[in-house]
Amino acid sequence: MAIADDEFRRLIETHQRMVFSIAMRVTGDPSTAEEVAQDVFLELHRGVERLANADHIRFWLRRVAVHRSTDALRRRAHRPEAAAEEWEEDHSLEDDAPISSISLQARLDELLRALPEPMRVVVVLRYQEEMLPDEIARMLGKSVASVKSHLHHGLKLLRRKAAITMKEYVREPA
Amino acid sequence: MNQPEEWSNEFEQELTRAMRGVDPPEGFADRVMVRAHAAGPVRAKVLWMPRRVRMWAGGAIAAALLAGVFFGEEAHLRHQREEAAQQQFELAMRITGRTLEHVQQQLSDAGVRFGN
Repeated sequence: MAIADDEFRRLIETHQRMVFSIAMRVTGDPSTAEEVAQDVFLELHRGVERLANADHIRFWLRRVAVHRSTDALRRRAHRPEAAAEEWEEDHSLEDDAPISSISLQARLDELLRALPEPMRVVVVLRYQEEMLPDEIARMLGKSVASVKSHLHHGLKLLRRKAAITMKEYVREPA
Repeated sequence: MNQPEEWSNEFEQELTRAMRGVDPPEGFADRVMVRAHAAGPVRAKVLWMPRRVRMWAGGAIAAALLAGVFFGEEAHLRHQREEAAQQQFELAMRITGRTLEHVQQQLSDAGVRFGN
């Protein structure tokens, strides 16, 4: 049996922020994110009767949003602006630089785009969705060790990138 | 001076604060609803067909089922008849064999010799 319009609209309004945010942060592009988020909800519309309850719907939406976003990213053959290894080199001194939440927020999308896809997905699920590593591992079908490794390296790269770009950012207005 | 571990925790906190949810552009739900209506429910689309076609399809399915039942029953009866005929043939052969043995015994008792 198909879902009623008002019930479906209620589901969209409840979860659109989460689905769009995941798509936005993983793809790094607003129009792709909108397309991905729409596709996710259309997929929900086609199969909502298979989902048992609100928690199941939320879990399903998160998982499908991540998968559709990474699919879109691969279709675009988008590459992070720098390879992970690049940020491992020669920036150890920058680690001590203080980073404010305001400047971090302003540069967040740019910083995330610098991460390779698997790290980006894990970082988004951990810090945006506030999921635990074992929940992320279950959702992505990966081992907890692999998720923790992606988190550790992703965080390290983000911090280094942030330390460098924030300095530039602070200098820019002057 | 902050230690690296503290920095990591502090950075994680900043990251959590910075990574707030992003609202989709205005009218997102409306656009999804429009696309959902345009696509239509998949199950209904597969099952929907004109009344006339539905009647013919129903008739064809019923006829196929009836034919299946009829031919299945026919095959079953034919198999039963074949088995019964086989059993009758075997019984007749056993009787004939015994009768021949009996006749042969009587002829032998009467002193009739066959062959050499």
